[in-house]
Amino acid sequence: MSYMYAVARLRANENRFLDASFFSRLIDSATLEDALKALGETVYAQWAAGSSEASLDRIIDSELIATCEELARFVPDKELIGIYRMTYDFNNVKVILKSLFKARENGERRYDLLSKLGAVDAESLIMLIEGEEYGFLPYGLGDVIRRCLAVWDQSKNPQQVELILDAHMFDVMRATAEELDAKLKTSNIARWVRHRIDAENLRNAVRLQRMNYDAASALPFFHKGGTIGPDGVAKLMGEPFETWGKSLSHTDVGAALELGQDKTDVQAALSDISKALDDYLIRVLDKAKYSASAPENVILYLLRKEEEARNLRIALVCVAKGLNREFARRLLSRGR
Amino acid sequence: MELLGLMLALFGAAIAGGMAGVGSAVGIGVAGESAAGVMSEDPDKFVQCLLLQALPGTQGFYGFIVVFMVLNKLQLFATPVPVTWVQGLAIFASCMPVALACWYSAIWQGKTSAACIQMISKKPEAMGKALVLPAMVETYAVLSLLTSILLLTFGVQLG
Repeated sequence: MSYMYAVARLRANENRFLDASFFSRLIDSATLEDALKALGETVYAQWAAGSSEASLDRIIDSELIATCEELARFVPDKELIGIYRMTYDFNNVKVILKSLFKARENGERRYDLLSKLGAVDAESLIMLIEGEEYGFLPYGLGDVIRRCLAVWDQSKNPQQVELILDAHMFDVMRATAEELDAKLKTSNIARWVRHRIDAENLRNAVRLQRMNYDAASALPFFHKGGTIGPDGVAKLMGEPFETWGKSLSHTDVGAALELGQDKTDVQAALSDISKALDDYLIRVLDKAKYSASAPENVILYLLRKEEEARNLRIALVCVAKGLNREFARRLLSRGR
Repeated sequence: MELLGLMLALFGAAIAGGMAGVGSAVGIGVAGESAAGVMSEDPDKFVQCLLLQALPGTQGFYGFIVVFMVLNKLQLFATPVPVTWVQGLAIFASCMPVALACWYSAIWQGKTSAACIQMISKKPEAMGKALVLPAMVETYAVLSLLTSILLLTFGVQLG
């Protein structure tokens, strides 16, 4: 299979994305049954049949998993899908480690929080980590897990463990992307990964600002490898939030932050910024849509599918819980 | 020396037919990959995809026309005329426009067709525009054919 074939197939599939008018119709549904009925007319039909409020996540996750599996059948380089699914694998590792820590303190394991969207089977991860067979773990996680366990023993701080795992995830992601770029020659996936790190750092920065962290104490929370270094992000701490966009105006991501500039309240801006950063990560790859065979189109497609899943989750929860419709509309990411 | 002239002329014809054919094959192949991708999800687009996929095939025919004209010029279907090495070289040179332009334009037309196939998968109503874009590349293949025909007709006098 070639990228010409793969991208053409993705283009044809893009017609099945749910559009803004559908989401509007979904949010306006009187009951969840009506919403699920409307969903029955879409690609989600096979998962939506006979569903209830309790199984909304299952519907969305099933479609995302099916999409990843379908793409893996015809995309020439599976690593592209791996880069996307890696986040879910690392989240699963976090869940398993936290469960392990809780179990040591006679707490309950929370394996119900594991995601099936990872590239590696969650059951295998549990078996390898609980069985202390770290050498068999993927992504070179063996030594990292040992380090996490040592840090936990010393500090009992789950946040530090998460930071170690996130830093390793971005290292692996970057290395995979660079290998792919070297192999494909025409792609620039590593560029997207760098922007992905920027987005994660800025998301962390907004959260830390909300918790009144200063630059020095926030610095360890920022990852290396982005287009803006950890020091550059840390400098934002303590500055009024509305000036962040101006401070980063020399960077590509600066424009994404301008959206929150009219909000002096960081808490109110958090969801807007998070949405803007997700949107930004899609925009970084937008140029690929003008190429009939750019490998970046695979990641672009997956990000758009994820955006659709996020919007669908918001719309369905809004209908199920009877939340304010306008509030739900505000939360939706802009469709393309 | 007569044999050298004939060899040069035939070599030119072979390159014209061969290179144009290779270009068309690559172009159709590239467009075909794209068409297969679209039709995997939407088999109803077969006719549109086929039309766009066929466009880079014309260069192969242009090459064949030039081959036929050279054979006709040499009167190989009847009594062959003697060809000096200078005349042979002139025929060889006359074949080059179609050989080079058709080879390269077919590949690029294939890429344009592939992109247009992706375009109609999203916007079927844009079929007219999708046909025009690869046809723009065709212009230069047609010009190279005309150049070769003119050179063969007026540039080389045999007998």
